[in-house]
Amino acid sequence: MTEEDKGIGQRPDLILNGVGSAAGGAYDKVLIDGVGKVMDSLSARLFKANGQIRVKGELETIEIEVNGIMNLEGPLRMNTMKLDGILHVDGGIAGESCVLNGLMTAKGDCELEEFRGVGGFTIEGLLNAGRMDVRLAGAGQAHEIGVETLKVRQGDQSLWNRLLGGIIPKLKPVLSAKVIEGDNLDLEYTNADVIRGNHVIIGEGCSAGLVEYRTGLTVHPGAHVGKEVKTGD
Amino acid sequence: MKDDLISKKELLDLTGISYGQLYRWKRKQLIPEEWFIRKSTFTGQETFFPRMLIQARIRNILNMKDDLSLDELASRLSDTEGYSEIRLSKEAIIERNIVTDIAMSAYGAAVQSKEGLYSFGQLLHLYAADTLLAKGDMSLDEGKLLLRTLEKHAGALTGKPCELYFVRKMGVALFLLAPSPAELFFDEGVRLVAKVALGDLVEQLKGRLS
Repeated sequence: MTEEDKGIGQRPDLILNGVGSAAGGAYDKVLIDGVGKVMDSLSARLFKANGQIRVKGELETIEIEVNGIMNLEGPLRMNTMKLDGILHVDGGIAGESCVLNGLMTAKGDCELEEFRGVGGFTIEGLLNAGRMDVRLAGAGQAHEIGVETLKVRQGDQSLWNRLLGGIIPKLKPVLSAKVIEGDNLDLEYTNADVIRGNHVIIGEGCSAGLVEYRTGLTVHPGAHVGKEVKTGD
Repeated sequence: MKDDLISKKELLDLTGISYGQLYRWKRKQLIPEEWFIRKSTFTGQETFFPRMLIQARIRNILNMKDDLSLDELASRLSDTEGYSEIRLSKEAIIERNIVTDIAMSAYGAAVQSKEGLYSFGQLLHLYAADTLLAKGDMSLDEGKLLLRTLEKHAGALTGKPCELYFVRKMGVALFLLAPSPAELFFDEGVRLVAKVALGDLVEQLKGRLS
């Protein structure tokens, strides 16, 4: 572990290689390779981690890149995030954009301008995004979803994936939420109690208790919709 | 209490905004988290908002959004700090139509600070009096009583939601300031003339100032 100060006024870098731990604090760059543990909250300009990382606190960064498994015991605030692997956050996530390739779980709300990628997620609170475009390769779960545009597709549907999905429910590529609200909703393989939107497309494999739409609704013949209501004028 | 809340659906119908806009504004912190009130209804969980506050806020956003970016708006709306710095002269207030001429000439002199300028708090008090005057509920003399009440006690309630009650019994006017939600019970002869949430006034005043 090395920590070098680059003069007064500039933040130091935190570099962890191999197995090690570090204190929290404010850094310019945080680079972790291997098994790293950070004992307190972190704030950094760039956070890059490969391997298994645990941060015992919150993380605030402009850019975050994770390859591997990361546990964060607090909220995450970032500008852009690139995630390959598994991220677990004991709090909310707030940021501009997130590119997902793997699994993401959050205990709180998740607020993103742009959310796209392949994989699965569990958001225990509200998932609030501007543009959301995901290909599910695992379960997508949120208590509530509020978006401007949402597009959900199933990821690669090969035999192996289907087999695994049948055995392990977590891997079943289905989006489920209590309420989904948005302007443009383009859904497939989605289960929700209530879906409300302006322009709604209910595609293959969907099941919804109630669908409310303002301008347009398309329902796939195979989809199951309890009740359709046109709202507004 | 029930009619003080508005359901999300009703709000969207009334204001003509879409789900996407509402959520974008929430993301940009134009609408505070605390205003999203979750309640269970027979259709499951629904979101409600404090009726007056959210409507005033949405009007403000819609009015300002053409001139400002959402981020500028957010900082404008969220911080009362920016407003606490405000010092306006009498002329500026009348010119910008924040408080009417009548209220200004009746109460202005009593409220203003030494330099003849008005802070946000003082402006709010004037605005409150002006609102009640405009509704025709209050006479000019009673307004003086109102301003004295506000000046003396509003400080103790800053930052907390509170409501102003204006009651009359046998022609005698009384003003009450109470933190909300509070339920007040009066005897029979008392007539509740007006009830104003100060939070709404703050919101409206912000709209006029920007």
